[in-house]
Amino acid sequence: MHLKFAKTFPLATVSVALLLAMTAGCSKPADRAAKAAGTAPAHAATGSGVGTRLGDLTPFRTIAGDVATLVDKGDLAQARTRIKDLEIAWDEAEAGLKPRDAADWHTLDEAIDKALAALRADPPKQADCKAAMAYLLQIFDALRTKA
Amino acid sequence: MQAQTRGRQNAWLNKVPEVALSFWIIKILSTTVGETGADFLAVDVGWGQGITCTVMFGLLAAALSAQLRTRRYTPWLYWLTVVLISIVGTQITDLLTDGLKVSLYLSTAMFALALATIFFVWHRVENTLSIRDIVTRRRELFYWSAVLCTFALGTAAGDLATEALGLGFAWGAAGFGLLIGLSYAVWRACGHAVATFWLAYILTRPFGAALGDLLTQARTYGGMGMGAMWTSALFLTVIVLLVAAAQLRTGTGLSSRTPD
Repeated sequence: MHLKFAKTFPLATVSVALLLAMTAGCSKPADRAAKAAGTAPAHAATGSGVGTRLGDLTPFRTIAGDVATLVDKGDLAQARTRIKDLEIAWDEAEAGLKPRDAADWHTLDEAIDKALAALRADPPKQADCKAAMAYLLQIFDALRTKA
Repeated sequence: MQAQTRGRQNAWLNKVPEVALSFWIIKILSTTVGETGADFLAVDVGWGQGITCTVMFGLLAAALSAQLRTRRYTPWLYWLTVVLISIVGTQITDLLTDGLKVSLYLSTAMFALALATIFFVWHRVENTLSIRDIVTRRRELFYWSAVLCTFALGTAAGDLATEALGLGFAWGAAGFGLLIGLSYAVWRACGHAVATFWLAYILTRPFGAALGDLLTQARTYGGMGMGAMWTSALFLTVIVLLVAAAQLRTGTGLSSRTPD
């Protein structure tokens, strides 16, 4: 049995490599997600934010801080909008973060899911959201001290 | 084999593509495109995993039944089916891992066993595992079962490598790419065309995923920072071009799809 990929597979690899080379100079919208900004005086991240096993989680911590502030103010609708930024940024960075420490990644992922669930409940309950956000911020801090 | 198929009036031609350069390129790229699309719907658009899974399964059912009803290899339909199977296969594994908390060691072993079983039964029933002779509905069903299983297995194995070995996408692309190269080398040196084909096929799943991540991920994480949108657009363009070319060749009867 002669499959044609004998003759062509080396070419396949070269083609893919060329493809990569061509795209090397492309723009990097993914970096914007990694640098998501926000100010949150009440729940601002303290310290450099670096020094977790997952690396620098400051961008995510910052958004979480924003959300917590909004929840404290009672603005659950706005908090729900803001936490979507966290969801998207976190999801986009999965492939980059998870290999660094899968266990820590899962811990934080579950905490984020809990917060999402609380804020997306119909209707969302202030107490639940506050508890979920407190827990999430706690996890961020725990990861920092762990590293 | 050949006499049988030519003898019957309504004989099918081989329902699946020849294994050539474009086959592997489309296969590798379609993994990423499918996943990115499903992820976009689940997260960015906000459908959530449940609805996205249901929709994808429904689309797969539709595409597969259309594919099964054709009498010859129809490139656009075949590859649409592959993309959808890729998504559903991935979702099955994710459901087991995230939803049911099944260990990746277990799911990898399970799917490997399931795939071996499919091949065993396929061979027992058909006496051949040749993919140049998928000319009956029964063979095609074996084929697509195997394909679905390779995607679930490829997902589980890739995720396992990430979690157990901390294998990032850069090393992942290199590693899985190397393994694919090795299966090719084994085939050239020792034959075993069917085994090496399916092995390479399984490996293209984690390879495609790692490759996609390499392009998509932010530079902070060692990726090229192209982002999901541009990467998908690029991959989709290449896929569409290659599938269109295949479709044209099929139309003019220039490609040989009959077994020889």
